[in-house]
Amino acid sequence: MAEESIKITEDLTIPQLFLSQCKRYGRKKVAMREKEFGVWLPYTWQDYHDKVKYLCLGMVSLGLKKGDKVAMIGDNRPEGVWAEMAAMCAGAIPVWLFQDCMMEEVKYIIDHSDSMFFVGETQEEVDKALAIMPDCPKLEHVIWDDPKGMRRYHQEFLHSIIKVQELGKELDKKEPDLFEKMINEGNGNDVCLLFYTSGTTALPKGALLTHWNMLSMGQSLMSLDPCYDTDDFVSYLPFAWIGEQMMSISCGLQVGYTINFPEEPETAQHNIREIGPHVMFAAPRLYEGLTRQVQVKYLDSTWIKRKAYEVATKIGYHVGELNFEKKPVPWHWKALKYFAYIIMQKKLKDHLGMSRLRHCYTGGAAMGPDHFRFFHALGVNLKQIYGQTEIGGISVVHRDGDIKFDTVGTAIPGTEIKITEDGEILSKSPSVFIGYYKNDEATEKTLKDGWLYSGDTGFIDDDGHLVVFDRSKDVMTLNDDRPFAPQYLESRLKFSPHVQDAWVIGDKLPYVTAVMCIDYSVVGKWADENKINYTSYPELSQNKKVYDLIQKQIEEANKDLPEPAKIKKFVNLFKAFDADDDELTRTSKLRRGFMGDRYKDIVESLYKDDMDSVHLDMTITYEDGRTQRIKTDLRIQKTGGN
Amino acid sequence: MTTVWLPCGDYHENYTEDQGWWQSRLIKGKMILLLLLVFVVIPLLSKYEIILDSYWLGVANMIGYTAMGALGVQLLIGYAGLITLGHAAFVAVGAYTSTLLILKFPWPQVILDLGLAYPISILVAAIVAGFWSVLFGLPSARVKGFYLILTTMAAQFITVDFILTQYVSKIGGRGQAFSLPPGTIKIGPWAIETDTQRYYLMIILLTFSVIIMANLLRSRVGRAWIAIRDNDIAAETLGINIIWYKLLNFFVAGFLAGLAGAFWVCNCAALSPEHFPWFWSLWLVGVILIGGAGINGAIYGSIFMVMIMEILQMAVIPLSEYESLEFLIVKFAFIKDMAFGLAICAFLIYEPRGLSYRWWQIKNYFNLWPFSY
Repeated sequence: MAEESIKITEDLTIPQLFLSQCKRYGRKKVAMREKEFGVWLPYTWQDYHDKVKYLCLGMVSLGLKKGDKVAMIGDNRPEGVWAEMAAMCAGAIPVWLFQDCMMEEVKYIIDHSDSMFFVGETQEEVDKALAIMPDCPKLEHVIWDDPKGMRRYHQEFLHSIIKVQELGKELDKKEPDLFEKMINEGNGNDVCLLFYTSGTTALPKGALLTHWNMLSMGQSLMSLDPCYDTDDFVSYLPFAWIGEQMMSISCGLQVGYTINFPEEPETAQHNIREIGPHVMFAAPRLYEGLTRQVQVKYLDSTWIKRKAYEVATKIGYHVGELNFEKKPVPWHWKALKYFAYIIMQKKLKDHLGMSRLRHCYTGGAAMGPDHFRFFHALGVNLKQIYGQTEIGGISVVHRDGDIKFDTVGTAIPGTEIKITEDGEILSKSPSVFIGYYKNDEATEKTLKDGWLYSGDTGFIDDDGHLVVFDRSKDVMTLNDDRPFAPQYLESRLKFSPHVQDAWVIGDKLPYVTAVMCIDYSVVGKWADENKINYTSYPELSQNKKVYDLIQKQIEEANKDLPEPAKIKKFVNLFKAFDADDDELTRTSKLRRGFMGDRYKDIVESLYKDDMDSVHLDMTITYEDGRTQRIKTDLRIQKTGGN
Repeated sequence: MTTVWLPCGDYHENYTEDQGWWQSRLIKGKMILLLLLVFVVIPLLSKYEIILDSYWLGVANMIGYTAMGALGVQLLIGYAGLITLGHAAFVAVGAYTSTLLILKFPWPQVILDLGLAYPISILVAAIVAGFWSVLFGLPSARVKGFYLILTTMAAQFITVDFILTQYVSKIGGRGQAFSLPPGTIKIGPWAIETDTQRYYLMIILLTFSVIIMANLLRSRVGRAWIAIRDNDIAAETLGINIIWYKLLNFFVAGFLAGLAGAFWVCNCAALSPEHFPWFWSLWLVGVILIGGAGINGAIYGSIFMVMIMEILQMAVIPLSEYESLEFLIVKFAFIKDMAFGLAICAFLIYEPRGLSYRWWQIKNYFNLWPFSY
C-alpha cells in the first residue's frame, strides 16, 4: 500500500503525490492502458509523467495561471486524466462536465465556473465550445485530442493536445525547473477540483474540494478495503461523477493501480470482462443491467445449463442468506457452495468480468434487495456506499462480512455521522468540502461548524448501520394514511428483466399505480419469439401482449406485498426515462417532482375509474438538443385481483 | 484480433501477445499434454504393447502422411481459395527427388558416414516439389475456379502418369519401381527400419509442417492469402500482389507435399508411380472436407479417414471367413472407395463445416456455460 512510501498529510497535494509515484514506478510499471485497435496500449508512469508535464507547461505558456478554471468534457480516456492532472499541476482547478450535457448546462457551468480553458475530446465537444463561446467571454482556449473531423477548424484559440504539448516542450527547454516548482508551490488545502453536483431540484452547484479532501477520503477507503499496485481498475463512468474521481484519482494515485480505459463507451462492458478488474464502483443501474442480462440469457439457455444455473443459484442464495444473517455456514453448505462455484458461478463471474473482483461498490442511488441478494448469492462482494460530492464522494460503506442490504453500512475511519432531531444526516470528516463556488448562501445552509448537512434523512439502526431513508421518496402514504415504499417497489419491479425502469405513484392518492418503461432489447426479443410485429419502442410498448407480459411481472412483484402497496393499475410509457428530458438526474435518479408535472395527464387518468387510455401531447428532447412533439394514446391496464 | 476465447482478466498489451500461439493457461496445458501424448506416451505404449502395438504406429504413420499432404491442400483450398485436384503429383515429386538423391547422387563419403544423405534429401525434395508446384500454379494468375481445377489435374497427369511413369521410373533401366533396400535410408547413425523410428520422423516432420503453416497464417502472408480467398479483386485494390501471393501459396503447399513424399520413402520397400494415383489427390481434398477449416481440420480429417478405413478393414476380415462373404476381401478396394464416397456425402449433408467446426461447437458449449450465447 501507498502508506509505506508516501504519507498522506494535509500538506500533500495530488500533483506532489503524482510526482512521487511517477518517480517511484518510472518505466517499470504501467500506469494506464487504453484499448485501441484491439489491444490494450500501455502507458508507463514515466509516459504518464511526460504527457502531463508537457501538457501542463503548454497550458501555462498559453496563459494558464494558478487558480484558473479548466473545463473538461469527453469520454473516459487517458487524455482526460492527463488534462486534469496537468491543470492541477499548474495550480489550476479542473471542472468536469458530463459528456452528454445539453448545451444549456454546458453554458451555465462554463460561465458560472469562470473557465478559461476548455478541453474537449472530439469535434462534437469542440462544436459545443464554439457554440457557447459568444456567451462565455472568459473562455479563451479550446483544446481537443481526437483529430477526427478537425481538419477544417482553423480558429486561433483551437489547439490540438499535441500542439499544446509541443509548446510545453519549448517552455521546458527555457525553464527546466518550472514544472516541479509549480507542483511544490501547492498546498494540501488548496482547491483541487470544482465539482458541479447533479442536483435533483435546482441549478447545479459547484462544490470546491481540496487536495486534502480528496486524498484523506481515498486513504480512509483504502484502509478499509486495501487495493494493491498490481490491481486493475476500469474507468468508464463519467469523470464528472465524484465516484469515478474517487477511484481513478484519489484511490488510484495513492495505491498506484493500473487504470484501464475502454475502447468506446459502447464496448465498456466487453472491455471490463477482458480486464477483469479487482475493484469496481458503479451506479445501481449497471448492476441492474447485469442482472437483467443474466436472467434473459438464463431463460434462453438449454435445459441442462438451466438446471445447473438453478441448482447453483439456490445454493448461492442459501449461503448468501446465512452470511447476511451472520450465521456460521455449516461444512456441508460450504461444500455445496464450492460445488455451485465449480458448476456455474465460476463461469458466470467470468462472463460478467467479476472473476478477480475483490470489492465492488454501488452508490449514487438506492439499489433493491433483490439485486443485492443476487450478487451475494453469486459470491460477489457487493457493498453499498453512501456519500456526497461535498464529502469527497464517500462517508459510509459496508464492511466485509457485515452487509445488510437495507443499510448503507458504517462510517469510514475519520468520519463522524450524526442524525439531527429532524432525522437529517450530518457528517464530519477531513474530506468535507470548503464551500460552494460563488454561492455563500448555499454554503451556509450546508456547512455548519464543520458538519455537512446532507439534506438526506435517515437513522442509525441497532447494529450501528446508517439507513438512508428519505420520507419524500422512501415512504409515501395513500390518502387513507396507509404507507407504502415507492422506491422499494420500483427496485422490485426492476428485478424483472423486461422492465428497464418504473415510477411508482400514489402519494396522497387512493391506491398505488405505476408507469413502466419496458426494456427494448429484452422485450423486443421476446416479441420476436412470440411473433409480435413492431417497428419501434412506442409501438412495442403499447402492444396488448406486452401489456399482459408486464402485468404478469407486476403481479409477481405484488404477490408478497401488503394490500396498500399492491400496484393496481399501470401504463407502459412510450419511451424510456432519460436524463435529457430531465426525467432522471445524470446519475440516473428519478426526479419525482418533475415527473409529476410532466406526466400530469397520465397520473390523473390513472385515478379515474372510467378511463382506459390517456392521450398525451408533449415534446421530447434528443441528445443533440433537437426536440420533437409527440402525440399518442397510452393504454391503462388493471392488474389482476382487483 | 485474437479469435481465442480468453478468460476474464487475460488481456493483451501488444499484437505479439495478441497473435500468440498458446494464449491462455488452459490452452497451454492442453497443448503440452498433446505434445507429451504424441512424443512420449504413444511410443511408450507401443513399446510395451499396452493398448497399442507397432501395427498402430504404422496406422499413426499413415495418419501423419495423410495429414502432411492435407495441410498443403488446406493451404491452397482453405486459405487461398485455389482448388486443387493434383496434390498427389507434388507428393510424388518429393518422394522421387528424395529417392533419386539417396540412390543416385554421388554423395561425399563424409555425408554418407554421418548419415545426412536422407535428411538433406528431405529438404531438397521439399524445395523441388515447391518449385514444381509453382510451375503448375502459374495458370492461377489467369484462371480461377473450375478452370484452375483442370490445370491442377493436368499437373497430376503430366507429372505422375507421363513424366514419372514414362521417364523417371526408367532411370537405371529397372522398369517400374525403385527398390529401397534395408539400410539405405539413414538418419545419422540410425537406419530407419522400424515403425517406431518412422513414427518419430513422421511426428517431427508433421510438427515442423504445422509450425510453418501456423506461423505463416498469423503473419502478413497469411492475411494476404485470406484476403485473396475472400475477394481477390478487393485484395488487389488493397495493394496485395495477388499473383505473387498465389504462387507463394503454391510453393508452400508444394513444399509441405514434398516433405510428405520424402517421408513416405522411408515407409516403402520400393517406390513406384502407383503410390501417387489421381485418387490420392481427391482423397486429400476429401480429408479437408471432412476435417473442416484450419490446421486442426486437416489433422482431424486425416485421423478420421484413416481410422474409418482401419475399422472397415477390421470389420471385413472376420466377415470374409464366411464363404458367402469372401468377396468382401477381394473387393476391399471398392468397398474403401464406397466408404469414402459415403463419408463425404454424409458430411456434406450433416456436418458441412467439418469436424473442426464440431470441435469448436463443443468448446463453445462449455465456454458459454451457463448460457447459450
